[in-house]
Amino acid sequence: MSLADVQITFARHALIARLSGEIDMSNAEEMGATVIGATPSEASGVVLDLSGVEYVDSAGIYVVYGMQASLQARGQSLIMVIPLQSPVHDALRLSGADRPGGIAETVDEALGTLQRPSPAGT
Amino acid sequence: MLRLGASVGQNFGVSESAPEEVRHPNLGVGQIALEPGEPIEEASEQVRSSYRFSDPALSELPLEELLDELLVRVQEALDVDTVAILLYDEEANQLVARAANGIEEEVERGVRLPLGQGFAGRIAGERVAIFIADVDHADILNPILREKGIRSLLGVPLIVEGTLIGVMHVGSLTPREFGQADLAVLQLAAARAAPAIERATLVTALQHEHQVSVALQRSLLPKRLIEVVGVEVAARYLPAREEVGGDWYDVFELPRGKVGVVIGDVVGHGIAAASLMGRLRTSLHSYAIEGHGPGRTLELVDRFVQSLSEPAMATAAYAVFDTYTSRVCYATAGHLPPIVISGAEARALEVTPAPPLGAFPYGRCPEDELELAGGEMLFMYTDGLVERRTIPLNQGIEALASAVAGARTPEAACVLAMAELVPDGGLRDDAAIVALQNSTVPAELHLRLPAQPKTLAHVRRVLRRWLISRGADEGDVAEVTIAVSEACANAIEHAYSPAPAVFDLDATEDDDEVTVTVRDEGRWRPPRGSNRGRGLSIMVAAMDDVQIDRTDTGTRVVMRRRLRHR
Repeated sequence: MSLADVQITFARHALIARLSGEIDMSNAEEMGATVIGATPSEASGVVLDLSGVEYVDSAGIYVVYGMQASLQARGQSLIMVIPLQSPVHDALRLSGADRPGGIAETVDEALGTLQRPSPAGT
Repeated sequence: MLRLGASVGQNFGVSESAPEEVRHPNLGVGQIALEPGEPIEEASEQVRSSYRFSDPALSELPLEELLDELLVRVQEALDVDTVAILLYDEEANQLVARAANGIEEEVERGVRLPLGQGFAGRIAGERVAIFIADVDHADILNPILREKGIRSLLGVPLIVEGTLIGVMHVGSLTPREFGQADLAVLQLAAARAAPAIERATLVTALQHEHQVSVALQRSLLPKRLIEVVGVEVAARYLPAREEVGGDWYDVFELPRGKVGVVIGDVVGHGIAAASLMGRLRTSLHSYAIEGHGPGRTLELVDRFVQSLSEPAMATAAYAVFDTYTSRVCYATAGHLPPIVISGAEARALEVTPAPPLGAFPYGRCPEDELELAGGEMLFMYTDGLVERRTIPLNQGIEALASAVAGARTPEAACVLAMAELVPDGGLRDDAAIVALQNSTVPAELHLRLPAQPKTLAHVRRVLRRWLISRGADEGDVAEVTIAVSEACANAIEHAYSPAPAVFDLDATEDDDEVTVTVRDEGRWRPPRGSNRGRGLSIMVAAMDDVQIDRTDTGTRVVMRRRLRHR
């Protein structure tokens, strides 16, 4: 069984990347590169759906920061989908990290956020 | 119409249709008669030949050796330069060169000749002996005969009970008039050889089918069983004496600390059953990793079997063991009940019956549950192991249960089952067994682990299971696990390549306080960027106390946490 899986779909000019399984130093970088590599330059942003993630640690959080930086440099934004009961919340809380990018509870909510023009413009 | 040899041997008597050649109707066994006045030397050669080709040892040989032996004996008996045996391929309606002496190229090049044309083709098509005195003036299809410089040829059909099975021919590199005595010897050889070839061909074909089926069966079964934290597994596949069937087993890991274990039996035998087994095994595994439970998974495999173009049926049992809760959820489709081994006791489980896969449209597979305590085993098997003509099935199951009772490991259970239930000479039907044990969780963990990133997932599984066994709740498990995983990630980063490095993890629990120590022999590196600093923050936030000792010989991280919600 592979540790984690990533499913990529497109909706309304955004890329939706659904991660599932466990993310740690063995696979975090690869997952980040997969998502960034699949994001077309004309997309307004990426919805990183973490609702299927069972475990994430500092290596995963670090990669999300890196993704956010890469996307920002291309004028694209990153919204994470983290449901209320998610181990991702625990990891973010324990790490004391600022939340990278925007956070939504559902994919629809995330897509709605992406549709609004960003304050800085694109 | 072919124009065969212009120079004709006279001593064969009448030719039927083509005046350029000489034919003889095939003489059956025992019909060889000496012409009056035949020279005594030739008669004695025939007598010698009848021994040569009636040797009972010939009937024991496998096909290839038999053919080789016949070639040698014919070559000696007739003092010829070439001998070839071509066998009849009924499907293709062709002769296929199978063995040759002196003209090995025939076999090497895989010569195939149509029936009814050319030298060998006409022998087979018309079932007559043909003699060609001069190859140069004959219409020969097979160019190898000319390339080799063969001057004269004599050939006879190989016939068993009126059915053509091939052609045997001999050749001479110098012009030679094959006589009546030569023909008699060759026909004697053919009459003796044909049934032996037929038998050996059948046996070889059956052996081939068996070998292919066994190879296929083996290739479709798991190469090695998975290693999952919390379970021990062992399995066996036993082919039947004569043919393989479609029995299979499987063990696979599922998300969230679960393990799937499967046993199944496709109705039928041989390559078809083995191949269907492969498809069912894949189909079941695929539905299982989609997250369906045992009942629904079997129902979906049933729909898959129903959708096949050829009618198919199979029985199967599928159980999911949760390493965190020690519970088993299982369902069966027409399959015999799994056995639970608990110390010296073993009993067949109650199963809610369901029809076999492919038996009825929209069959339902109800699920049952049980608790598998530490050390207990789930033992699944196919009916080949317990079915005997002479005893009722439930007695067979009872005999199996008492055979495996007391087994301490899955491997031991497999060995005991085979020792008690496989009769001398092997099983009549094939059988598969698979055993899964809920391995006992030790009170303390002392692990030496390879310093590789993929070790982390393994550590988390071991630790989660251990924490649950120490009474930790979900919150404890999540927070201690992430802290320990971070400490191990540091140890892995410290390990300098390329030497194969290891690190140690110890975990103890005393009066509700968990202590985890992670030791490596590398150099502590100051946190790189914000990431590694974050790893340390996680450890500190998740545990009550974190101590890091760095020395020249390595780094030791000791973390403590009082279990919060007991």
